[in-house]
Amino acid sequence: MSPRDSSRETAEDTRRPVLPPEQQDALRRAVRLEWTTLAVMAVTVAVVGLTTGQSQAMKAAWIEDCLSLLPPIAFLVASRRIRRPSDRDHPYGHHRSIGVAHLVAAVALLVMGTFLVVDSATGLLTAEKPPIGIMVLFGQPLWSGWVMIAVMAASGVAPVVLGRKKIALARTLHDKVLYADADMNKADWSTAVATIVGLVGIGLGLWWLDAVAALVVAASIISDGVKNLRAAVRGLTDARARSYDEKEPHPLTGQVEEHALGVRWVADAAARVRDEGHVFHVELFVVPRPGQDPPAVELAGLRDSVRELDWKLHDVVVALVPEVPGFQAPR
Amino acid sequence: MMLPRRSAARAVLAIGLALLGTAGCAGPFPADSEDTLARASGGTLRVGVSENPPWTEVGDDGSVSGVEAELVTRYAAEIGSRVEWTPGAESVLAQEVAAGRLDMLVGGLTSRSPWSSEVALTRPWGTATGPDGQQQELVMGVRLGENALLVSLETFLAEQERG
Repeated sequence: MSPRDSSRETAEDTRRPVLPPEQQDALRRAVRLEWTTLAVMAVTVAVVGLTTGQSQAMKAAWIEDCLSLLPPIAFLVASRRIRRPSDRDHPYGHHRSIGVAHLVAAVALLVMGTFLVVDSATGLLTAEKPPIGIMVLFGQPLWSGWVMIAVMAASGVAPVVLGRKKIALARTLHDKVLYADADMNKADWSTAVATIVGLVGIGLGLWWLDAVAALVVAASIISDGVKNLRAAVRGLTDARARSYDEKEPHPLTGQVEEHALGVRWVADAAARVRDEGHVFHVELFVVPRPGQDPPAVELAGLRDSVRELDWKLHDVVVALVPEVPGFQAPR
Repeated sequence: MMLPRRSAARAVLAIGLALLGTAGCAGPFPADSEDTLARASGGTLRVGVSENPPWTEVGDDGSVSGVEAELVTRYAAEIGSRVEWTPGAESVLAQEVAAGRLDMLVGGLTSRSPWSSEVALTRPWGTATGPDGQQQELVMGVRLGENALLVSLETFLAEQERG
């Protein structure tokens, strides 16, 4: 039983903005940030590509910069798609595209970490000793290592600033793609530092330091990739909704049940909530008190009041049941 | 090695700062990993030469001449070193350099040389027209990891270029 046929349901209702003003604003800023990220990364990719030379570490940093273009692109594509209203072919709307983008971002992180590990481990095992010679700048010979260090330092600054801003917006938007992308930006920053350490190591004649520094950073990037991949898969396979950073089950599930239990005619209530991206899809099973037989309007009222609890409770279905079905809403 | 990102980054940063600190008071920067430049200065520079006129020519008596050979001799004189030539085939000499039995490799190598994983190719010291009629950059080979030697040689080559 569903309240879909309620008289209060109008065509306009499905078309009203999904996100409240604060989140709309956050989304707009996030889109702007991601465009900035793309522009900055494109410049970085070009400049690092030009100064790379024979250095393996710089080559790795370059490939990593290329990979970090993926999450912003995924985010921008997804944030466009979610604007579409639900229709007959997409009865749940388009919000899941955020989940798909999250998967793309997670895979990008994982590939980047794996690539770095393989690259620096082979460098270490085969004792690759990166040669770095000079460059002639304005008629003066200058060790290319200094130029590379300057480029890496400059390319590490923007991601730190962008990453910090993105984390704040990810919280407001409950956006896991943005969160994963912010993680990626932090990874960019730490690989920049690792590359600088490696270059200084080369300068000191410690050829192995390059590979070791890269390995340390790669290990932490892989762990982030795995964390994000698990989270993305959890989301796409309808696991219990969790907070934007995956640290805890989302508190809204409990709040929805409590709210339902507060209704006069409700004896028992259980909700199953899945994460559609920014918003949640809620199925609420309610058991009426003995002798109560609430009409459809009552159910629609309950549904609307649940939706008003939080902007994230976007798609809510209330089902009247004689008892909470254990296989649908396990406790 | 699953360090949390923050502590990993901090550790890397700390190592980096410590290294930068020691960089100021240690010898040449960049340094060699096997101290080749220090050993060659005031001693011998072991150079593998493959014959490739007019850049390098090996006489019957073992004497080495040619434009590039002269350049190497002049460089050696500048660092107070004497050249010890080892004639041979490019592929064999490249492996000898990689194994550390030679310090350098010359013989009209171009920047498109296939030996870039055996030796470090220097910045170009001249250009020549290749067999395909295309302009090619002439480079020398230096033992990998010996960046003090590489920088010292490249600085010399850059000075020659300016005249």
